[in-house]
Amino acid sequence: MNCPLKRVETTDLLLEYSARRLDASRAAAVGHHAESCTECSAFLAAQTAVWDALDAWEPPPVSMDFNRRLWQRIDRTAELPWYRGLFSAMRAANWKPVFPMAAAVLVIAGGFLLDHRGGRTVAPNAATSGVSGVSIIEADQLDQTLDDIQLLRQLDSVAPGGSAKQM
Amino acid sequence: MVQGVNTITATTAALDGDAQLMLRVREGDEPSFGVLLEKYRNPVIRFVYRMVQDQAISEELGQEVFLRVYRSRATYEPTAKFTTWLFRIATHLALNWLRDGKSERGHQRLDDEGDGEMPVREVADRRPSVEQRMVYQTRLQEVRDAIALLPEKQRAAVLMHKYEEMEYAQIAQVLECSESAVKSLVFRAYETLRVRLAHMTRV
Repeated sequence: MNCPLKRVETTDLLLEYSARRLDASRAAAVGHHAESCTECSAFLAAQTAVWDALDAWEPPPVSMDFNRRLWQRIDRTAELPWYRGLFSAMRAANWKPVFPMAAAVLVIAGGFLLDHRGGRTVAPNAATSGVSGVSIIEADQLDQTLDDIQLLRQLDSVAPGGSAKQM
Repeated sequence: MVQGVNTITATTAALDGDAQLMLRVREGDEPSFGVLLEKYRNPVIRFVYRMVQDQAISEELGQEVFLRVYRSRATYEPTAKFTTWLFRIATHLALNWLRDGKSERGHQRLDDEGDGEMPVREVADRRPSVEQRMVYQTRLQEVRDAIALLPEKQRAAVLMHKYEEMEYAQIAQVLECSESAVKSLVFRAYETLRVRLAHMTRV
């Protein structure tokens, strides 16, 4: 047998051997090879030690009420109205990017609407300000005209006397 | 038509028993879900626990795994082994939890958990001495730390290989990568563990 460590394709043979997952014939071949190969025997010794260390790690027992809690959650899900169920499904689907994207779309849409409404409001405002501008101009012109009329009247009242003296 | 029916029958016959149970769940048979829950509750929670190293979180994620299985019953299609599908859900949830950085909070609670207790079977008939318990807990902590320091995918691959005794092909399906990639992940993970736990071999 060629040394399994010499080829990438066969290195898993040693892992499987130390995990005791090889069939009898292949396990015998690897075992026989390891007896004469110092590299493989060192590899197997280290791997067996890791295997034993990992074996010592026992997780804590599962809570007694695990099933009861799960069935409660299932029942609660079944009682939810369809839109809540859809929301839960979306959350369960882990669609986290959807929320920032939705917020971005809302901001853009809001900005567009504001801009659009602003455009429309500017026009009436402009019109209004135009109207008010016209009104201000007309009032000024009216004042000016009234002043002119008053001045003409004053001149008119002064003029006959003047002309009488001349005559 | 007959050939089509034969193909379906052959496919159904080739399904593993768990997939057949899940198909019954799809048809509304809740007791079949109960059977699957009883069979895979402990393996799933043990796997998630070793991934996240927090008992409360592992049970919470375990609940989420089975809740998703139940919710997906209507659309379930037995395209792979049931355990492949189940562990793919469990792995995704555990990896998402780790990637969200929620593990920072979890590690603070490690010492409060009861899993540092030395198994009674280790000491035959008598209770372990204080010294034996301390040595055991130190070694256990080293093993947990060594696993926790592995990159997430290596960790998932090595846990499925070691504790769930999965074949490379099935791990590849769970992790959605090639079989050779899994071999590489597992080999590198064990290589790292051999270095990190080397001092334990000399004890």
